[in-house]
Amino acid sequence: MSKLVLKNVAKRYGAFEAVSDFSLELTPGEFVSLLGPSGCGKTTTLRMIAGFMPPSAGTIVMDGREISSPSGVVPPEHRRMSMIFQSYAIWPNMTVGENVGFGLQVRKLSRAEIDRRVDKILDVVQMRNLKGRYPAELSGGQQQRVALARAIVVEPEVLLLDEPLSNLDANLREEMRFEIRRLHDEFKITTVYVTHDQSEAMVTSDRIVVMNKGKIEQIDAPHVLYSRPRSRFVAGFIGRTNFLEGERQGSDVRFEGFTAVAGTLEGANGGGKLLYSLRPQAIGLSMQKTGGVGLAVEAEIADRSYLGEYWDYQVRPLGAAKALRVSTGPNAVFEVGSRVWLEIDPAAMVRVE
Amino acid sequence: MKRLGSLAVLCVLALAPVAARADIAKLAEDAKKEGELTWYIAHYTSEGAEDLGRGFTEMYGIKVNVVRTTAQVAYQRLLQDLKNNQTICDVFSSTDVGHYVRLKAQGRFDKYLPENAAKIVPAFRNVDPDGFYHATSAGLVTLTYNTAKVKPEEAPKKWEDLLDIKWKGKVSTGHPGFSGYVGTWVLTMKKLYGWQYFEKLEKNKPQIGRSINDTVTALNAGERQVAAGADGSTLFSAARGNPLAVSYPTDGAVLIIAPSAIMKGTKHPNAAKLFMEYLYSVEAAKINAKHFGIPLRPEVPAPPGAKPISEVKTVRPTVEEISKGIPEVIEQWRDTFGN
Amino acid sequence: MAIAAPAIDTAPPRPRRAANFDSTWILWIAIIAVLLFLVVSPFVYLVVTSFQAEDTGVFTLMNYATAYGRARYIDALLNSLKLGAAAAALAGLFAVPLAWAVARTDMPAPGLTRMLVLATFITPPYTGAVAWILLAGPNAGWLNRFYMLATGAEAGPFNIYSFTGLAIVIALYSFPYIFIFTTAALELVSSEMEDAANILGAGPWRTMRRVTLPLALPAILGGLIICFLEAIALFGSPAMIAIPARFNVVTTQLFQFFGNPVRVEVAAAYAMPLLGVTVLLVLVQRLITRRKGFVALTGKGGERRPILLGRWRWAMFGYAMIVASLAVFLPYIFLVQSAFAKAWGRGFALDNVSLDNFRFVLFEHATAAQSVINSFLYAGASATIAVFLTLGVAYIAARRLVPFGGVLGFLCVAPFVIPGVVLAIGFYAAYAPPTLALYGTALILILAFTTRFLPVGYVNASAAIRSLNPEMEEAVRVLGGSRLTALRRVVAPLLKRNLLGAWLLIFIPATRELSSAIFLYGPSTKVASVMIFDMSEEGNFERLAALALILQVLTLPLLWIGQKALGRDFMLRRNAT
Repeated sequence: MSKLVLKNVAKRYGAFEAVSDFSLELTPGEFVSLLGPSGCGKTTTLRMIAGFMPPSAGTIVMDGREISSPSGVVPPEHRRMSMIFQSYAIWPNMTVGENVGFGLQVRKLSRAEIDRRVDKILDVVQMRNLKGRYPAELSGGQQQRVALARAIVVEPEVLLLDEPLSNLDANLREEMRFEIRRLHDEFKITTVYVTHDQSEAMVTSDRIVVMNKGKIEQIDAPHVLYSRPRSRFVAGFIGRTNFLEGERQGSDVRFEGFTAVAGTLEGANGGGKLLYSLRPQAIGLSMQKTGGVGLAVEAEIADRSYLGEYWDYQVRPLGAAKALRVSTGPNAVFEVGSRVWLEIDPAAMVRVE
Repeated sequence: MKRLGSLAVLCVLALAPVAARADIAKLAEDAKKEGELTWYIAHYTSEGAEDLGRGFTEMYGIKVNVVRTTAQVAYQRLLQDLKNNQTICDVFSSTDVGHYVRLKAQGRFDKYLPENAAKIVPAFRNVDPDGFYHATSAGLVTLTYNTAKVKPEEAPKKWEDLLDIKWKGKVSTGHPGFSGYVGTWVLTMKKLYGWQYFEKLEKNKPQIGRSINDTVTALNAGERQVAAGADGSTLFSAARGNPLAVSYPTDGAVLIIAPSAIMKGTKHPNAAKLFMEYLYSVEAAKINAKHFGIPLRPEVPAPPGAKPISEVKTVRPTVEEISKGIPEVIEQWRDTFGN
Repeated sequence: MAIAAPAIDTAPPRPRRAANFDSTWILWIAIIAVLLFLVVSPFVYLVVTSFQAEDTGVFTLMNYATAYGRARYIDALLNSLKLGAAAAALAGLFAVPLAWAVARTDMPAPGLTRMLVLATFITPPYTGAVAWILLAGPNAGWLNRFYMLATGAEAGPFNIYSFTGLAIVIALYSFPYIFIFTTAALELVSSEMEDAANILGAGPWRTMRRVTLPLALPAILGGLIICFLEAIALFGSPAMIAIPARFNVVTTQLFQFFGNPVRVEVAAAYAMPLLGVTVLLVLVQRLITRRKGFVALTGKGGERRPILLGRWRWAMFGYAMIVASLAVFLPYIFLVQSAFAKAWGRGFALDNVSLDNFRFVLFEHATAAQSVINSFLYAGASATIAVFLTLGVAYIAARRLVPFGGVLGFLCVAPFVIPGVVLAIGFYAAYAPPTLALYGTALILILAFTTRFLPVGYVNASAAIRSLNPEMEEAVRVLGGSRLTALRRVVAPLLKRNLLGAWLLIFIPATRELSSAIFLYGPSTKVASVMIFDMSEEGNFERLAALALILQVLTLPLLWIGQKALGRDFMLRRNAT
């Protein structure tokens, strides 16, 4: 049975639709991310799941019981969920131990039991020795761990996270990504994670819900999203890509700078204009024409940037106006202006809307 | 020869008032050039003081800055001015004679004998034989009561009646630390009855204001029913329709003769002199009478409703007693009444 | 970022003189000198005078001996402390539930409540005291009369002339401070803090108890302390009520020391503990509000969810209206009645209505009319000086133009700890006698007011300048303008609204300032507050009420301007430190 079901959930503010027609089913223990740019409606959706606001339309059902609908909402304190906020929301007037123990106190556990569980969870997040400290004495990362501990110790039905890592610096962010996933795996809590950072979503999630302007663009596992984006938005949002516009001409599809056989391309059955996404890593680059399985296209290096871990080349096929973006390893060095050969595998081109 | 002499005398006598008036005219002209006058006054209510000031302005076209406060506050102001070597006050009119004794001793006054001094009621002349300060106002401290709450037969008849337990919580007075009238009254009571008078009065929990005119408010409002008040302000308020009346105490109303003087080093000497003349004029006496003060000129009758001064039994401490006694009783009062 | 450079002057560059000399340095030095004059000098004089013998100036401890030699004087000090505590506690009782209701619940008409708090805030405490004398005089007060009428009792239970009465009156007109502090704190508590508690299972009451209130507590305590300090420094209402009530407080006792004879030295010595208590409490308040980093980040995306009170919302509203009645409705009704009456005691009878009082105050009593003009003139002058001075100092401090700029800022805020009465005595000691001989002049009043309100100006200016990016001025200077040009053409225009707000925040209280004016006014420089106080001396309540109402009415256009320019609650926003 699904743990959490959102059905056609919408949120309107006057004429403005912050979230429209949002449907999602979570299996117990699943880790799902809501991913999208600012203003796409992901936080609004999360807050509706938490019960902080009622939906304008649609329902939210947990364990078979309806908890949100336009006519009524079970208040947050009765939903048995947990939430981690962007600002962590650690109460500065209480110690780490008191913060973490708060939810257990509300659930009226005995003093001894509270202490036991708090100690245990603090061990898990490696904050045991700071139990008596106040939040003002902790670093950002430590506060984050306290927030995690506080949220998990109550064994919630659903764990909600609202961009919890955006206030941390880059290194800490990476570390905490893994930490969050690790805790999820250890405790098997159904989790909904909101973020605008795709690498965060990719690392932590079982599935990702890509949102744009209040609507769902695509729901899939991370690798599927990457390799098989459904829409232009998803293709452009997740990873970098080249958008290739092709026109069907007989049995060929003509692109700017090269032509592919329609049969080798995914979804080229229809006529007219077709849009494809091709990842920069999927294009081969060499001085000679290789005899690989893909199309060989002669081209010229228009520009390049070195990023340490890879080269980012702008390569213009001969006769084309637009350059393609190609990534290679750090050792594949080509000079600007030199003639090169691209290898394009039609199987790697994904049809997008 | 004798006839010529008498004729000469007659001529002089006939011309004398004209000469006097000509002097005042010259004084008025000089004063007008000075333009204005500052008057520290405790003798009347604000309204009375403003009225008098306006009367002067109407007569001579000179602006009067009326600074009306209670006597002790006026004195405090003056002392502050003097301490800072500032002469702001031109004419000083306080109701505490002791102020004048001290200030005269320090040489703070300008000697001036107004022309009109000879024309006022004899009882008020020569308060200071050296002529540094002169009585310019007179009033009485009497028993007063609210006629809506107290019938005339129940009203207190003598000072000791205020100590009667039936007036507990119903008495109103001013504060000697502010008002010269109250200071003089307290001193007189102490003289007549000893300080026990006030220890007993304290038990009646009087409402203590600051000015003696606070009693008028307290009675008008019905807040209190009997008071040791000033006849002038009480009768003035009664004439406006308020339920007040005066009961002249059989053991003597306290007569306050309050002087005025010109400050030495005044920036407006002519205006000040003119003002002193004015205070003794018939016009001033009329305004005074309007406010139920005792008019100093015999030409002006006592206002209707007030007993003429000749018919009232009065008591009055001597100038030395006042000078020494008021500071003492202020302290005693503070100790007895807590403030 | 390549910028096309203008044609280069090929002549050899002239050697630079005294590095970075800007003619604006003279301005800065002038400002610093003024600050020393306004803040440091009176304070120093105060302390020095307290150790000087009268007339001879010889060092002595006699002043302290005299000041504390009499039981009555020490009683006054203790009374002040008790009064302050009582008033602060009562004010807290009025303010905290109201603030919580307005900021966090669904009590009806929060806007109306805020407006009524504002009306309370702009009522001078001495006007409130007068109104309450009319209301609760033991025999003639209206409340007592109604009580006697209703129950047939002999006497009413209310007596304004008592310690309790005074404490209540002071509390009624200083509770807005606590209201401001509390609402500000409650609004700063991030909604995420409360959401976090909610989602962990805590309902609205538990959340308020364990999260919201503890987080707001330091600010509430801060407000209570400010209230306490206000109460012990007040002169007007204690003078009107305590004297008939027969007890003394520090301010009325100080007034007596200025009495007869004038004993500035003893007054200075007597004022020291007041100063000491104030400094101590301000330090305590800072300590409390700094602990535990209590300013929480406001979270994003939270519609603040008000606590639903259900039927209790009407009870809360009722409470708000009761407080408003005590502070605003009842007093103003009877003030108006009195202002239009021939004799207020006669009540609402038609034949008791008259415009005489207004006529007298405006046209016949020359001093009264002049005093209103004086109030506005002096307040305007001091507000203007204070605003520009503090802008300058805040600028110097923020841009670090001199070493120890922080000290200047401290000097601007220091007057906060000096009660108005004490400040006035300091000014008196420093500037009334020759050489400056400012005694009885308008200037000494203006200077004292300016100093008194420097802290308000500085806090505003400092916050405003901090909100500006210094790069905007650097852009002016790179293009050749001096700092003064930058200040004039970039900074001042950007801060126009802030400056207006600060000006009003100083001007409005300055028009009603009594405790510092009472010692410094001269016969020709009386201000309206002193006039009102003097009138209460003669018990001339009708005329007094007329004057007080005129003062209030004249303030309304200013409030309107302020609200138009800066928002509805510009006076209720927390601006004190």
